[in-house]
Amino acid sequence: MKTKLSLLAICVAGFNSHYAFAAPDPVKLQQAIAKQELELKQLKKDLAELAAQQNVQREEQKKQAKVIEVAKQEATESKFSKFSFKSYGSVNYTSDEYYQNVQDTTPERRGRFDLERIVTEFGYQFNDEWDMEVEIEYEHGGTGAALEYDGFDEFGEFESEIEAGGEVMIEKAQLRYRPSDAFGVKFGNIHLPIGLSSILHKPDQYLTVLRHRSEAAVLPAVWNETGVGVFGEVANFHYQAQVVSGLNSEYFRTYDWVASGHQKRFEHVNADDLAYAVRLDYGSFKEGSAIGVAYYYGNTSGNRHKSNKVSGDGTVSILALSGAYVQGPWILRGQYLNGTLSDSDAITQANKTTPGLKPGNFAQLGSKSEAFFVEAGFDLTDFTSIPLTVFANIDYSNPLAEVETGTATKRYENTWTSVGVNYFPIPEIVIKAEAGRQQVAVAAIPDTNFFALGVGYQFSL
Amino acid sequence: MKQLKYSAIAIALISTLAACGGSGSDDTTPTPVDDKFEFAATEMITNLTDDVIVSGYASLATKGEEMLLATQTLVSNKTQANLLAAQEAWKAARLPWEQGESHIFGPVDSLGIDPHLDSWPLNTTDLTTVLASNAGFDAETIKGWNDDVQGFHTMEYLLFGDGVADNEKAIAELTQAESEYLMGLAEVFRDYTKTLDDAWQVSHDGSGKAYGELVKTPGSEGNTFYSSQVGVIEELINGMIGIVDEVGNGKIADPFGTSAATADTSKVESQYSWNSLTDFSDNIIGVRNVYQGELTGAADKQGIIDFVKAADEVLALRVGSEIDDAIIKIKAISGSNNMPFRQAISDAEGRVRVQTAVDALTKLQTSLESDVLPLLSKWKV
Repeated sequence: MKTKLSLLAICVAGFNSHYAFAAPDPVKLQQAIAKQELELKQLKKDLAELAAQQNVQREEQKKQAKVIEVAKQEATESKFSKFSFKSYGSVNYTSDEYYQNVQDTTPERRGRFDLERIVTEFGYQFNDEWDMEVEIEYEHGGTGAALEYDGFDEFGEFESEIEAGGEVMIEKAQLRYRPSDAFGVKFGNIHLPIGLSSILHKPDQYLTVLRHRSEAAVLPAVWNETGVGVFGEVANFHYQAQVVSGLNSEYFRTYDWVASGHQKRFEHVNADDLAYAVRLDYGSFKEGSAIGVAYYYGNTSGNRHKSNKVSGDGTVSILALSGAYVQGPWILRGQYLNGTLSDSDAITQANKTTPGLKPGNFAQLGSKSEAFFVEAGFDLTDFTSIPLTVFANIDYSNPLAEVETGTATKRYENTWTSVGVNYFPIPEIVIKAEAGRQQVAVAAIPDTNFFALGVGYQFSL
Repeated sequence: MKQLKYSAIAIALISTLAACGGSGSDDTTPTPVDDKFEFAATEMITNLTDDVIVSGYASLATKGEEMLLATQTLVSNKTQANLLAAQEAWKAARLPWEQGESHIFGPVDSLGIDPHLDSWPLNTTDLTTVLASNAGFDAETIKGWNDDVQGFHTMEYLLFGDGVADNEKAIAELTQAESEYLMGLAEVFRDYTKTLDDAWQVSHDGSGKAYGELVKTPGSEGNTFYSSQVGVIEELINGMIGIVDEVGNGKIADPFGTSAATADTSKVESQYSWNSLTDFSDNIIGVRNVYQGELTGAADKQGIIDFVKAADEVLALRVGSEIDDAIIKIKAISGSNNMPFRQAISDAEGRVRVQTAVDALTKLQTSLESDVLPLLSKWKV
């Protein structure tokens, strides 16, 4: 375009100069005029062509803008924009020393691999206020049973085969209505905000290879129940309050207090005794530093299948205090749990005499339980090029801290102390190693050493 | 003439067909198949229930009562003689219990009484804690504690000592706390044995029929436990198999290990009183009681042997002698110098004798599982 204009300019200039200096010769003049007219014609043609070209370009730009506009609109209207998918999982190797029986004081070492869990979580945002979330967990590689035909057995036999051990379960299935940050309602199968592991359960959210053992020894790990709750955030205060299904004391056992009373065995959850859970945090545990307090309260006797066996309420109350300090290279988290159980002797007695319950040597229940953990990590990224975090951890639990009558045995009072590393080859993947010691408060039982390796991942789409 | 020929042919054909009929599958009147046998089981079931099972539990309850008395006497008057009497009372109660393990079905299982009475191993660590606490040991409190600090073996430990060097205990070694706890345990024990006895004789659940009645009347109105005599006999045979398996592959094999180096005395049941071999032989004597239909030395009555005899006389006698053989082989483990089981598993010659007993038990178990149990399907009910 520009070149053509300059050509024109040069031509005009040339013509002027020609006109100025050359002698007027009509023939030559005519020739020159004709030549110039030809050139002018050519130029007009060129100009017209250029204009046309510009028009085409403008049209194309308009078209493109329209396409982008449409694409943008389509993107906002797409079904998949409202769909979210998350997943996390872990595989572990553990090596522990264990005892054959209560008389045994020479432990044996046992190594184990465990496809601990694979969790898939999907959600859907119906509109600005309503969404849903479902979390499906495959523990220890899922489960499998089959009916098989064995033609080599006498006349041929139909046999039930167990193909794989493990569990598949829905850990969460909730609907949420959230009109504002300050207030929301969720209902369905929801997580209870009592133990920290129901808030921090992805492999990169705790430093140890296995989730904290102290918590698992007194309450259901990643505790989920059916119910309804309100939640919200006001000036960096996060609050939650829930009414949910309760526990069933028929399955309370010495070694994990009320944890095994989590109603999962039956197709239906007895809801004659409900439970109440509240939590208040300042700051957010998921994002970094925070302090928080949580409280659980609920009766259990009404949820027994043989409800006439215990006359008392069997009230469970749990107080949880937790804190986290995540600043610079430091990661520091801790939790203290204190639980009480009323009518613990009556429940023990009822469990021992209910046909089929068979609590074995684990019938006696603590009227009080206690547990805590503290984990401290230090990120070495500032000092080395390797994304490594070193940590130290202590877990303590005593599901039988006190009993109603007699003396509580210290056999269930455990302390695990360990050190280890977390290595993040990429932010979504963590490889962990941990070595430590387990101590039972009974002097006659020797301490044992454990070692664990784990790999975990998590991502969100 | 022609007619006659046709008829002759017809008759011949018909008779040939009739002759073939015997093996025809579409025959409407089958001749009895040879491998079915007939046996009227009512008398046997009644006898086994009343004279073996119920009388055994009644005897256990009586012995429980006597043991409580013996411990009470011991607490009020601590003498060596009274300690010995209490030890004897323990052994006397042990006998009907161990023999009764050959039929560990019904209330003893469903009411969870077995672990309350006979939890093993004993939790010595916790027992030390309990004794140190020195609280008032009343029966109701003890019932609230875990099973591994009560029952037979806790009492045994308190009565006989730790059993490592000997199975004797001087009265001076028995502390006040030990004797009081022993008395509390004996009371708990008495209560459970009474509950068990009542379940068989009065009511299995406090309101329904006695369990003994339910066993004796399978298929009767409202009997949800046994729908037929086949079920009862199956339960009885499986009970025998169960204990033979447990003695051979559990009680003996677990502590026995693969060599003297892997033998583990901590797993030996009744090690404090050195009563293990008596336990094991009593278990198999319990099998003999059910099999023969009467306790040793009593007048002959109907037992499982009569059921087996109806099907196969030779097998019946063979199994009978295999049971006797297993009992003899278990008793022979003690050798010529009366070696207790906990020592025998670490002794070269002792281990050979133990293996002999295990082999006898394995043989018996095989016979019961593959020869006796299948007879149920051949029984013409």
